[in-house]
Amino acid sequence: MADKIILVVVVNGAPTVVEANLNAPLRSIIGKALEQTSNTGQPEENWELRDGAGQILDLSVKIGSFGFPADTRLFLNLKAGVGG
Amino acid sequence: MADAPAATPAEPQYVDPDVSRRKFDREIADYRALERDYQQRGWFLVEANYPTVVVLLAAPHVSPSPVVTGVLFDYTNYDAQPPSVRLVNPFTREPYQANQLPTTLNRGIPHSMPGAPDGMQMLVQQPLMQWYAPTDIPFLCLAGVREYHNHPGHSGDSWELHRPTGAGALVRLLEVIHTYGVAPLAGWKVNFNPQVMFGWTEPPT
Repeated sequence: MADKIILVVVVNGAPTVVEANLNAPLRSIIGKALEQTSNTGQPEENWELRDGAGQILDLSVKIGSFGFPADTRLFLNLKAGVGG
Repeated sequence: MADAPAATPAEPQYVDPDVSRRKFDREIADYRALERDYQQRGWFLVEANYPTVVVLLAAPHVSPSPVVTGVLFDYTNYDAQPPSVRLVNPFTREPYQANQLPTTLNRGIPHSMPGAPDGMQMLVQQPLMQWYAPTDIPFLCLAGVREYHNHPGHSGDSWELHRPTGAGALVRLLEVIHTYGVAPLAGWKVNFNPQVMFGWTEPPT
């Protein structure tokens, strides 16, 4: 369990708990969070993940590198897309 | 304080009101559960009476911190219909006209430059707030917003395509408005307009 962490991912405002592997890239939690909240209509690349301060997080970075405390809340929202 | 004005001309409630209200209540409950997090980002939910939500967006990273805009949501017929979204004066709650907007929610769209070396791109500003005349009430040109899907130019991008993704969720819409309308604020800018003119002595008698 030492290489696992529990994160709370808030998907469009609705929280869900995700168990994440510290050695996996951050993008690995997106699919789980979307599946658990039944958000299956848009591909993963159409979502963006932010920390509590609103900063966009680099999805290619290992989860362990962020130093998240347990139960950290991350915010996953649909990108704006291209309007017109 | 008087009730908030309707976000768009009143629309009849044709969805079972209990269904829309339950979905509205879930949006508000989700928001309230994390309200402290949102307040730290400068979001203040000041009214939530079905079908209306009013949120004020401040900029805590700017000192002194301004209230940048109010946002008025109307969740009538949700989620058979997406919510109406208007930027409003935070004090009067009147929707801003285009020429009054404190922010037009500009986003940078990368465009390739003709004749430029490979990979060289320029950022073109595209406002998410759209209008025709300066006195129009502008609309948020974004999938998940009623005014966007009702616009004849977007008839090919139906709400039904976005409904299952939570595109009309309160927090998601606030995130977009915050990202393009509040987060880019770098600080206060003061403009001085010096004028040069003749300086006169007392007039001779």
